[in-house]
Amino acid sequence: MAIADGEFRRLIDTHQRMVFSIALRVTGDHPTAEEVAQDVFLSLHRNAEKLAGEDHIRYWLRRVAVHRATDAIRRRSVRPESGAEEWSEEQSIRDGAASGNYAIAARLDELLRGLPEALRVPVVLRYQEEMMPEEIAAMLGQPVATVKSHLQRALKLLRRKASVTMKEYVREAI
Amino acid sequence: MKQFEFDNEMNEFEPESFENAELESADFERADPENIQFEAELTLAMGHVDPPSGFADRVLAQAAVPQQPMSAKVLMMPRRVQTWVGSAVAAALLIGAFGIQQQHERRQREEAAREQQQQLELALQIAGETLANVRAQVQDAGIRLGD
Repeated sequence: MAIADGEFRRLIDTHQRMVFSIALRVTGDHPTAEEVAQDVFLSLHRNAEKLAGEDHIRYWLRRVAVHRATDAIRRRSVRPESGAEEWSEEQSIRDGAASGNYAIAARLDELLRGLPEALRVPVVLRYQEEMMPEEIAAMLGQPVATVKSHLQRALKLLRRKASVTMKEYVREAI
Repeated sequence: MKQFEFDNEMNEFEPESFENAELESADFERADPENIQFEAELTLAMGHVDPPSGFADRVLAQAAVPQQPMSAKVLMMPRRVQTWVGSAVAAALLIGAFGIQQQHERRQREEAAREQQQQLELALQIAGETLANVRAQVQDAGIRLGD
């Protein structure tokens, strides 16, 4: 066996929230996220002997989780993206942005699902994992400028979407 | 005007050129103050979430299952892949059988040709010997053959 059961259990306990959160926010679907997360840890179980140190394991888990989650949404071949018309509500956007209070936690999943895959992955790595654009670029094999551009575009889209959905949310609450 | 804005939104989804990326990354570096609050909220909202209960146990249970041998893996392949693999194996067998048959037939043809050549050579040899005997008998009889 490549890794002792006790050690494997410890690694799962330490990293399961990170791996599951990446899988969930990239795929936008709980059952798929669990499937992806399980797959990532089983892969770790097979490859643990090649990984040295906690940092290496954390980096490896993040990378594999991102790739497996991306593969999963491509296999599903239905990208859960919102239609472009949702982004064209100019007046609502202005109103929402002016208020400055996005309260995005309430509808985070919905906001993320609205992002194209290419933008969603850097956002998850930047704001969930708090990785620097340079680290994200290295992980995704993209130029740093592209990652920064994707992050900026994603922020722009999320802000617009947040202002629209939060208005709806407040209306529903009333 | 509205249509133009809509087109702009659509462009957000297209892969940007590298030049554009450079330009926008420069903007990113300037850290738009309007984004600061939003980024802070985003970071706060994007904490890690718990996996479903029993997740670790399920992973451990799966890890404890011994790895399947190759034949089992083939049987576990999706039906479409199985069909493809089956077709490829059948095609390979068919091509192999056709090749062997062709080689066998060529060998048979070569052997038949060699036999025919041997028979022809034997016939020529017999005819030559017969002619030589006839010539000798004619000469013994004192008959002179013209040149």
